[in-house]
Amino acid sequence: MKQIKTEELLKILAGNHILKTVIEILNENGIKADKQKAIYLIHRLKKRGYVKTKQTQDNIRVYYISKKVIRPSYSFIDILNENSPQKLYNFDDYIIHNKKPSLEEVLIYAIKSKNIRKIISCIGLFKKIKNWSLLYRLAKKQGLQRQVGALYDVARTVIKTRKVTKRFRNLSLPKKSEKFQFIIDRYNSKHFQEIEKKWKVYIPLNYNDLEDYRMFKKY
Amino acid sequence: MINIKDQENLFTEAGKMLKKRIECFAIGGTAMMFLGLKEYTKDIDLVFLNKEDRKIFKEILIKIGYKEMESRLVYGARENIPQMVFLADLRIDLLLPEVISFIFSENMQKRIEETHEYNNLIIKIADPHDILLMKCATERQKDIDDVESIMKNTTINWNIILEETKNQIKLGKQRAALDLGVFLENLEAIGTSVPKNISEELFKIFEKQTKEMKEKIRKKK
Repeated sequence: MKQIKTEELLKILAGNHILKTVIEILNENGIKADKQKAIYLIHRLKKRGYVKTKQTQDNIRVYYISKKVIRPSYSFIDILNENSPQKLYNFDDYIIHNKKPSLEEVLIYAIKSKNIRKIISCIGLFKKIKNWSLLYRLAKKQGLQRQVGALYDVARTVIKTRKVTKRFRNLSLPKKSEKFQFIIDRYNSKHFQEIEKKWKVYIPLNYNDLEDYRMFKKY
Repeated sequence: MINIKDQENLFTEAGKMLKKRIECFAIGGTAMMFLGLKEYTKDIDLVFLNKEDRKIFKEILIKIGYKEMESRLVYGARENIPQMVFLADLRIDLLLPEVISFIFSENMQKRIEETHEYNNLIIKIADPHDILLMKCATERQKDIDDVESIMKNTTINWNIILEETKNQIKLGKQRAALDLGVFLENLEAIGTSVPKNISEELFKIFEKQTKEMKEKIRKKK
């Protein structure tokens, strides 16, 4: 079988596509392709950096195929969506170019945003967070150690997480003299009051806000 | 002219060279390219919150190979004119929040929904409503084309535009309503539909402004 040149493929496929349109275009241009072959060709282009993939709300993959190599860029919202059962759509976004942000950075971004949906979504990240010293450093930079600690304890009520290091906990716990802080200004609830007292942080969440985490047991 | 890819390369290179984190706002064609509303732009417009950051960024561009340009040649001897650099046919305008025809207001900054980080360079992308509003202050054909593209590809909430127009007037840009009204009339003349109540609202604002001006003059006399 003759190998199709990458340039040739890019010439006919540049643009936004779903799998169906890729198959159609390939066949229109004399390249016999079924689903399997189309996926293989997209994979070949993707490996060389010409394709960026996105998933729509109804789980359809959209391929953005560019004639030039696409520099890697990472959206914080996409990373939150990949790692949490609480998906976010049409949200203001922070995109990092040329460097993949760590989950710890994404968690701090979500808490810093003071957006309730992002905060609920970021709770799922605790399942995968490993680098507690990085998380502590990032949180300290923003003055969010207690907020991170409180949300970690909230996360423990609904999902399995890795255990936080003693060092993180000891350094983050509030001193007696410290006052209560908000995660979202002026927002608190009647739930999670023990965690609130422990961390001296008002938690803006109800038990019901975390329903999705309870429903996705496997998560 | 610069395309999306080259623009990204430029920001990546500048971001790597910056020694401290600098934040700026992309407006005009640059913002449209980020939002996927345009493929090329003639000039890159960036708004900085202070002169220091603008100076640092300009120095980086000069290191990359851009050359300084006398902005008075383009904007005349006015206050708050941008600093400009160029390379071949690409011009970069480095602005401060108070620009000639508008103020990049706090409300505009709050409306921002997309931020891009290129190492130490953080670029916040202006909201399409604000891009539209800023385009109205000029009378270039390319701006009319840009506004048409924005209106075709995004859902415009005209109340945001009206509110921001009032805000601009409050901030001292008295021409905001007039400029927008004239621009929308031009748009209608070439077949783009604009909600009628918006033109009426703008006219009311303009009438109110005229009355206030007349009273001021009377009091002075």
